[in-house]
Amino acid sequence: MTSFQFDASVMLETLPLLMEGARLTLWVTLLGCFFGFLFGVAAGVSRSLDSPWARRLAGIYIELIRGTPLMVQVMFLYFGLPLILGLRFPPLTAGVVAIALNSGAYIAEVARGAIAEVAKGQMEAARCIGLTQAQALRFVIWPQAFRAMIPPLGNQFVISLKDTSLLVVIGVGELTRSGQEVIAVNFRAFEVWLTVALLYLCLTLGISLSLRFLEKKYKLVQ
Amino acid sequence: MIQIKEISKSFGGKKVLDQVTMRLDQGEVVVVIGPSGSGKSTLLRCINALEQPEEGEVWLCGQNMATADLNHIRSIAGMVFQQFNLFPHMSVLDNLTLGPKIVQGMPLKEAKDLARALLHKVGLADQSSAFPHQLSGGQQQRVAIARALAMKPKVMLFDEPTSALDPELIGEVLAVMRQLAEEGMTMVVVTHEMGFARSVANRVVFMDQGKIKAQGPTERFFNAPSHPRLQNFLSKVLNH
Ligand SMILES: Nc1ncnc2c1ncn2[C@@H]1O[C@H](COP(=O)(O)OP(=O)(O)O)[C@@H](O)[C@H]1O
Ligand SMILES: [Mg+2]
Repeated sequence: MTSFQFDASVMLETLPLLMEGARLTLWVTLLGCFFGFLFGVAAGVSRSLDSPWARRLAGIYIELIRGTPLMVQVMFLYFGLPLILGLRFPPLTAGVVAIALNSGAYIAEVARGAIAEVAKGQMEAARCIGLTQAQALRFVIWPQAFRAMIPPLGNQFVISLKDTSLLVVIGVGELTRSGQEVIAVNFRAFEVWLTVALLYLCLTLGISLSLRFLEKKYKLVQ
Repeated sequence: MIQIKEISKSFGGKKVLDQVTMRLDQGEVVVVIGPSGSGKSTLLRCINALEQPEEGEVWLCGQNMATADLNHIRSIAGMVFQQFNLFPHMSVLDNLTLGPKIVQGMPLKEAKDLARALLHKVGLADQSSAFPHQLSGGQQQRVAIARALAMKPKVMLFDEPTSALDPELIGEVLAVMRQLAEEGMTMVVVTHEMGFARSVANRVVFMDQGKIKAQGPTERFFNAPSHPRLQNFLSKVLNH
């Protein structure tokens, strides 16, 4: 056996520092998923339109993101893109953009599925009173699809939160990065990673619970 | 008012409408009957361009549906479906005001007044804040009729409006349709309610296998059915 001794006080001492990281993690996730939601809805709706161009464009975006690892997307955004753009985003901006683009592609599929699930008769009824396809989507289909999207949306939210730990590679000071920094000073890998894990768990549980609450609140009676 | 000229429509190689020709004058009520799968719904859906026929032409109020601005012309023909298709996330009142508000740009207050008047007309004045799922099937279908009327259509198309209803709820829906007919609305009604057809229709059309096999003024149609398949069909529906 090693001479390792578990020291709970380390966990308490490092907590304030790690909480800073957790706060940033939550921010990046919220911002990333907010824009991801906008991208996702735009792409998901485009996939549901009659226009072949809108469908194709959204399809390319979705395949591109879903077919490549997030890590590569992050590196490309932060290290690759600046070489042709001539300017580099700050790490935090690049991180938020990466999470937004990435979650957007998955949310797009969720949105497309939810729209497809709304009964076909709803679109027809809307068209029959003279609404255009876009108006029907906005006023009739979307409000119903959105309710069906809440559970999978929560799922994606949790996934994105965990994905933010990858942003450590471009130096975003989120929770995982804070863990590394603390360990570099106190060498207490066990206690620190345990605390980091517990903090992630609190965050994901918090998201799951709030989404479940939303789901109940917006439940649609058929 | 409606002119259908030799339209044909196929689904996956199967001819669902085969050279159908029909015309409807203002104020006429035509009932379409026929066995299931004979193309009745498809015929109605061609009238408001939910389906596009491959051959032939549909004219609605002097406009060719193949070249008309569909979004505009669709609301000229109100449609009532077997499954009601009310918007479940909106109150009854909002179901009625959506079209006038969005499509016609009617001010909200005016749209609400119109909606209340129509709900009164279909006997549901007290249900304006209810949601569709809180209503019986018969009430939902009456809301659906009022929703179509809110667009001030020139023609009303009914696709088996009472087929999804419990027998005791059919009467209230037919009563609303009867009243509409009496007020002079032009109507095409697909139904199996022969009593309604006899008492309300000016003309009855019998469809079978994508073709109009028989048609005529209501009295003559029922008293002297001309076609053997029609006699067979009538003996089946009239006996239960
Ligand atoms: N969208 C569609 N796709 C494929 N087949 C269809 C479609 N709509 C109708 N059909 C077929 O066309 C035939 C006629 O349908 P329909 O017009 O609904 O008949 P009816 O209303 O008289 O029962 C049926 O065999 C049906 O299966
Ligand atoms: Mg039918």
